[in-house]
Amino acid sequence: MQKLLVKTHEVWLVTLMASFMSNNAESKRVLNDFSDILFRNLTWIERDLIKRGEDYDYNRGNLPIKVDSLKVILSNISTRLTDMELMLSSVDNEELRIRLESDWDYMKFRVNILNDEKVTAFDMNRTYKNYNLSKEAVDAFTLFLFDESYKEYELIMIYNYLKAHFDDDFLNKIFQILVDESMFHLKSFGNMMAEMGILAVPRTLHKSLYQIEDVVQFLKDGIEEETAAKEMCRDLSAAVGRDTEELARFFDFINNQESYHIELMKEALAYYEKKELDG
Amino acid sequence: MEMDKEIIQHMSNPNNYGRIEDADSIGIGENPQNGEKVLVYIDVEKDCSGEYVIADIAFEAIACMTTVVAGSIITQEARDITFSKCEELISVTLGMLENVPPEEAACSEMVAVALKAAIDGYLLSQEKGEKQTLIYKIGHSCSPDKEFSIEPQEEKQCKNC
Repeated sequence: MQKLLVKTHEVWLVTLMASFMSNNAESKRVLNDFSDILFRNLTWIERDLIKRGEDYDYNRGNLPIKVDSLKVILSNISTRLTDMELMLSSVDNEELRIRLESDWDYMKFRVNILNDEKVTAFDMNRTYKNYNLSKEAVDAFTLFLFDESYKEYELIMIYNYLKAHFDDDFLNKIFQILVDESMFHLKSFGNMMAEMGILAVPRTLHKSLYQIEDVVQFLKDGIEEETAAKEMCRDLSAAVGRDTEELARFFDFINNQESYHIELMKEALAYYEKKELDG
Repeated sequence: MEMDKEIIQHMSNPNNYGRIEDADSIGIGENPQNGEKVLVYIDVEKDCSGEYVIADIAFEAIACMTTVVAGSIITQEARDITFSKCEELISVTLGMLENVPPEEAACSEMVAVALKAAIDGYLLSQEKGEKQTLIYKIGHSCSPDKEFSIEPQEEKQCKNC
């Protein structure tokens, strides 16, 4: 069961990366939708593990995704799903087993009939929509995408872990919004990385990041980090703003979204502290 | 950080990223200012002259991408070399950092001191007969405007390991 969680985590990321690689609207949509379903599958398996009192973590293997043609990664996804189906016998919860089997069976069928296309997501062209960015702006943009795509993945897994372990509707509603927001950011940054030919899987997480002992401190640090991220967006907006209004406006938009995240985290912090105080 | 294809390669697919289960030694480099950390895992063997050699190495970074690039480069250099060569590598790396802006130096220093902690921890564990995990704190600051002073070689036992 824990192995199935690891494998589902891995296939979610590979499918998400494949959606970034594709330039075909239909394939991109299908792979994006499937990655969302696979992430939900991960949360179902996780919930079942918690119910059964089994220990687990978000460790996973390295995921080689560098391909020249989409068919190669699609075939990899299909093989992974087949391997996972063979592990379903470890799932005692019959309802869950049937749901997972049905999802994966359809995904395999659908992925296998998607059209092939040339993949340019790893060619390191480092151009974005033919905008004429200065070397300084391209370097700053590149570093931002690497740093922030990892950060968003980290946040998704942290809030997901907290949500899985908190039996509190109010906090879980906030954590779910933060998961959704980070998912949107990760997808935005991933698509930009693919366009620039620098797509990469976010690195693995150390468990001390999500197995949080001090929630209050975590939220306080998180507010500080989001504030720092706002600064980065402001700097980047200024750096690329000279060359392209679209990118400058995108970073202003992300910057303003960080303000919303800060408010949500402050709300969670105030609620949690009050709850602790009330015993 | 100025980018070229090699640096992007380190960012996309850092060498030796991850952990070694049941490693012979784990060293931790920490930035006390912001809690960023690097963990270096090593497996050790003896070469034909009886000197300790780093037979396998891995690292994890709870830190920024510049630290990951430094980890990818330094751990690759440290692989398959003797402890004494590794000490030289650490010393050269720390020496080079004296001419680097503090906010850039902090990242590489964190990797270098984590590697030093892994080696020292291994030697200490040989003396004491049980595994010792050391944490070394760095002396550079990520934010030059908030420069602080901490002994780079301060050492303590890790509470979490």
